[in-house]
Amino acid sequence: MGRLGKEYKKGEIIARQGDKGSCMFVIQEGEVEAVAEAGGREFRLRTMGPNEIFGEMALFEKEIRTCTVRALGPTRILTIDKRNFLTGVHEDPSLALRIVKTMSHRIRDLTDRLAKYEEAT
Amino acid sequence: MPESQGGQDVSISAENLGFTRRQERTPPLRNTVLADGSRIAVIGAGPAGSMFSYFLLSMAETLGLDVDVDLFEPRRFCHRGPAGCNHCGGIVSELLVQRLATEGIILPHDVVQRGIESYMLHMDVGDVEIATPLHEKRIAAMYRGNGPRESEPLDTQSFDGYLLELAQEKGANVVRRLVTDVRRDNDLMTVACADQHSERYDLVVVATGVNSHLLENLEGEFESFHRPARTKTFICEFRLGHELVRETFGPSMHVFLLDIPRLEFAAMVPKGEFVTVCLLGDRIDDDLINRFFSSPEVRNRFPGGVIPQQACHCYPRINVRAARPAYGDRLVVIGDSGSTRLFKDGIGSAYRTAKAAAKTAVFHGVDAASFKQHYAPLCRKIGNDNQVGKVVFGFAGLIQKTRFARRGILRMTSNEQAQTSRPRRMSGVLWDLFSGSASYTNVFVRTLHPAYIGSLVWNLVAGNVPGSAARHGRASGEEESHVRR
Amino acid sequence: MSGAKTAADQPATALFQLHAQQVEKLPPCQAQCPNSGDIRGWLGVIAQHEKNGLTLNQAYDRAWEMIADLNPLPATVSRICPHPCEDLCTRADKDGAVSINAVERFLGDWGLSRSLPLPRIDSEKHPESIGVIGSGPASLSFAYQMARRGYSVTLYERHSVPGGMLRHAIPDYRLPREVLDAEVERLLGLDIALRQNVDLGNDVDLEELREKHTLIFLGLGAQAARHLGIPGEQGPGVITGIDYLRQRKERSESLDGKRVLVIGGGNTAMDAARSAKRDGADVTVLYRRSETEMPAIGTEVDDARAECVDFRFLVSPTRIIRDGESIQSVQVQGMRLGEPDEQGRRRPLPVPGALQELAADIVIVAVAQASDWHGLEAVDTAHRWLRTRDDGKLDKDLWAGGDDRGPSIASRAIAQGRLAAESAHAELRGERGAGAASARNPINAGAVKTDFYANQQRSQTPRRPQTEWLSNPDAEINQTINYDQAIEEAARCMSCGLCFDCQQCFMYCNASGFTRIQETSPGNYFVLALESCEGCGKCIDLCPCGYLEARD
Repeated sequence: MGRLGKEYKKGEIIARQGDKGSCMFVIQEGEVEAVAEAGGREFRLRTMGPNEIFGEMALFEKEIRTCTVRALGPTRILTIDKRNFLTGVHEDPSLALRIVKTMSHRIRDLTDRLAKYEEAT
Repeated sequence: MPESQGGQDVSISAENLGFTRRQERTPPLRNTVLADGSRIAVIGAGPAGSMFSYFLLSMAETLGLDVDVDLFEPRRFCHRGPAGCNHCGGIVSELLVQRLATEGIILPHDVVQRGIESYMLHMDVGDVEIATPLHEKRIAAMYRGNGPRESEPLDTQSFDGYLLELAQEKGANVVRRLVTDVRRDNDLMTVACADQHSERYDLVVVATGVNSHLLENLEGEFESFHRPARTKTFICEFRLGHELVRETFGPSMHVFLLDIPRLEFAAMVPKGEFVTVCLLGDRIDDDLINRFFSSPEVRNRFPGGVIPQQACHCYPRINVRAARPAYGDRLVVIGDSGSTRLFKDGIGSAYRTAKAAAKTAVFHGVDAASFKQHYAPLCRKIGNDNQVGKVVFGFAGLIQKTRFARRGILRMTSNEQAQTSRPRRMSGVLWDLFSGSASYTNVFVRTLHPAYIGSLVWNLVAGNVPGSAARHGRASGEEESHVRR
Repeated sequence: MSGAKTAADQPATALFQLHAQQVEKLPPCQAQCPNSGDIRGWLGVIAQHEKNGLTLNQAYDRAWEMIADLNPLPATVSRICPHPCEDLCTRADKDGAVSINAVERFLGDWGLSRSLPLPRIDSEKHPESIGVIGSGPASLSFAYQMARRGYSVTLYERHSVPGGMLRHAIPDYRLPREVLDAEVERLLGLDIALRQNVDLGNDVDLEELREKHTLIFLGLGAQAARHLGIPGEQGPGVITGIDYLRQRKERSESLDGKRVLVIGGGNTAMDAARSAKRDGADVTVLYRRSETEMPAIGTEVDDARAECVDFRFLVSPTRIIRDGESIQSVQVQGMRLGEPDEQGRRRPLPVPGALQELAADIVIVAVAQASDWHGLEAVDTAHRWLRTRDDGKLDKDLWAGGDDRGPSIASRAIAQGRLAAESAHAELRGERGAGAASARNPINAGAVKTDFYANQQRSQTPRRPQTEWLSNPDAEINQTINYDQAIEEAARCMSCGLCFDCQQCFMYCNASGFTRIQETSPGNYFVLALESCEGCGKCIDLCPCGYLEARD
């Protein structure tokens, strides 16, 4: 049957930390992991599944990817163009709501983790 | 919740009132802000009606507002053939796929009959493929109903049926009745059905599409309402089998630029074991259809150059001038029955108008003044863009008529597709024009860019110099590498 | 324009056209009704009354008239009819067949309570005089159809009261005599003369009547029950089912504590068994096949059981054992089922050695009916039943209908009387027979899209509480649905094969090919302009009732 987006195999990189990017991604099928590299080490930030978005920061600010996203298995990903997105938000600001919710959720998550990290060290 | 801005002091001017009832001035309304227990009737569960219900109920939920939405739809999208179909080419545009994904709505794979990643442009002077740089499937070919006559029912889920399910999950109550009349009834609206059932509502949302007779009835009931102007189009389906469709059409939408008067746009869309042919223009008639199918560019799409038997066909009408006005007190007209983009992305317009109307109803009010202030601007924007669209299609018509122009375009597009470093001006314009990914205004403005004009002029000359590669009927070897099989 | 040549060597657009046309079909209810009742028609008048500018009262009046047009005794017949019309109702598989019978019964009572006059056809009087022998349902139906066409009709009835089997063989708890009286009285009001206590062959002979009348209708019935032909049958204590039921109507006699055996598995056997129960007897029904082969209406069997009637299946009486005059017991032979006979019922075969005696005081024999041919020497009665043409014609001035042509349900008798009258009238007036009934094709199974219709449970016929059945033995058990239930039930009709104004074709036709008719009536709501049809077939696919179909 018909499928949308682009297919990635297990282990394939969808977005690479440090690369330029001007789009956001929506997972259609499969799971991915977001990892950050620092000091030659990789940290898994989170895993994501169908209908989750990533790469959303590229829509709003600097276009450098802050982490690497890798397919954990066969995955299909749809991209959201910055231009399309911003045109849409201009007409209907509520379009950004879901992304704002996601970002807020992630900030909360990071804050918690940071607090735990501070406590531990 | 926010107070209606125009709710308390609606000045009675014909303009403000939008829909006025025949021989009757409506007194100022009370309670034109939705509150707990408000009742909303949505007439028609096509994409506009279902998305309106979905968004309205989502927003109401966020606000903690408890409203009832009755979604009237007597038909069942699980029926195959025209009975379950809402008559369109069945394309969810790149833009809409992305908007819906941003909203959190992902189209399931049994709804998507085929993911489209490129356009194949067919002209007498040659074919050229316009592809997305990433070869990503960004456009969905789907069936509005449960597929054409004779289709295998297991293969298909109706797009409209899927959206309706989303609306139902949000709490919309589907009423399997055919609405025949909408009347103003003192302060409220009455919806009357063919089976003599009638009910009163705080808001009536007309989402019947242009192919419903209800709009004529509304004209009879509301003096100031003018239903959309329509023109006849043609859609048919050929059952070629999965294998042949995949081989012949690939993941591409096939667009034909042919010198046939009154034909504005012709496309073939692969879907599962079928291919949909869609002809848009001015008064599509049998003569035009025969000319289309007798042209070699079209015949060559079919095995042995023979047009097989159609499985299903219809002549849907499309909206070529918006309904005026598309709102009134406790009444709003959305989707194709109101304003829609000319020729393209009707479902995208359904989404935009449905959401704008839902936002207005939830956050501002259901009186004419609220719709005028918060809904009408979108309709105007669509209308203005359509004016530009007419100019753009006028240009496209000129190209269709002029062989040397077709050569120029073929050459420019082919060369652009062959390299990746330089900007693809022609490809981008054609992509956006065919896919409806940008507004007509945006497309038009880009064609005014000096670099575009310069390049086009150069290609017009080069493409028509005898001996040049693109002069010859089919694309050159270099270009052929982009004709994906 | 040459056009694209296609596989069929035709222009592309000439392929696959599904042009619509409006064609009325024969619905299964009407096809199943022995009297071809226009059930869909009168249910439609009720269900669609508002659309057609009728009040509900007017619609009920009109629906009653439509029934009375074919059947002058709707309140009576609806009470006893096994309603084959409901058997193949398209709605049956969805949420239960339409309770056609319950609505008809309501309308029958409605007609009586409103004193609605039977609809006349012809104001013109014809000179021919018509004689009718018997006054059962076939005779009454024939008399009615002739009288309303302007003939003077005389009924000759052997008994003192008219009604035939309706009067004598149906117990009051199924058909109150007041209902029959009222409907017969209304019918006789159409200037039909009734001569009571006239027995053919004794009080008057056929030749005399043939001279007196232009045409004679024989509606003799089949009241002479057949006997078992076993030893001991002659003598007191043995009575036929019909005789028992008739006697009981005149004066009921207590059978307190008596052991009654009823032989037979038909409706007369059930009526007799349940009546005997009401008279105080212990009743056992003996039937030589098994329960599935029983010809009686299923609900009658259930009701008999509910009244504690016992059943013994696969037994056949072989002799009645008497002690002097009085019956002591009945010897029965055990049976088993063999191969199916020509009617498809499995034939009972004796099981060797399986003999048994069942104690009894009274034996009611209700095994088969027969006609009494006394006085019909001039007519060929060599066969068991009269052999007529399909329309009931027997001889140049003789017509027949009802059980004398073979026993059946009242509704068939009514139909035979009506068809005979229509045919006789055409012949008398020198017209061609109206027999060529409209050549409507039955609707195809599956042509009705049942999922279009909203679910709505079938309304049940109200019944008297079971505890009162025996304590109030003559009170009618089944009751009539009320005013509101009647329209609810009528609205469940899917109108198979006839437009009921769902308006989908009108609303969704891309070409606006349907135009609403000004003066609407059930079936007549839209005109389809054939020349505007674009052949997409959408309306055909949408039409829930199967009225729209493809043109060739």
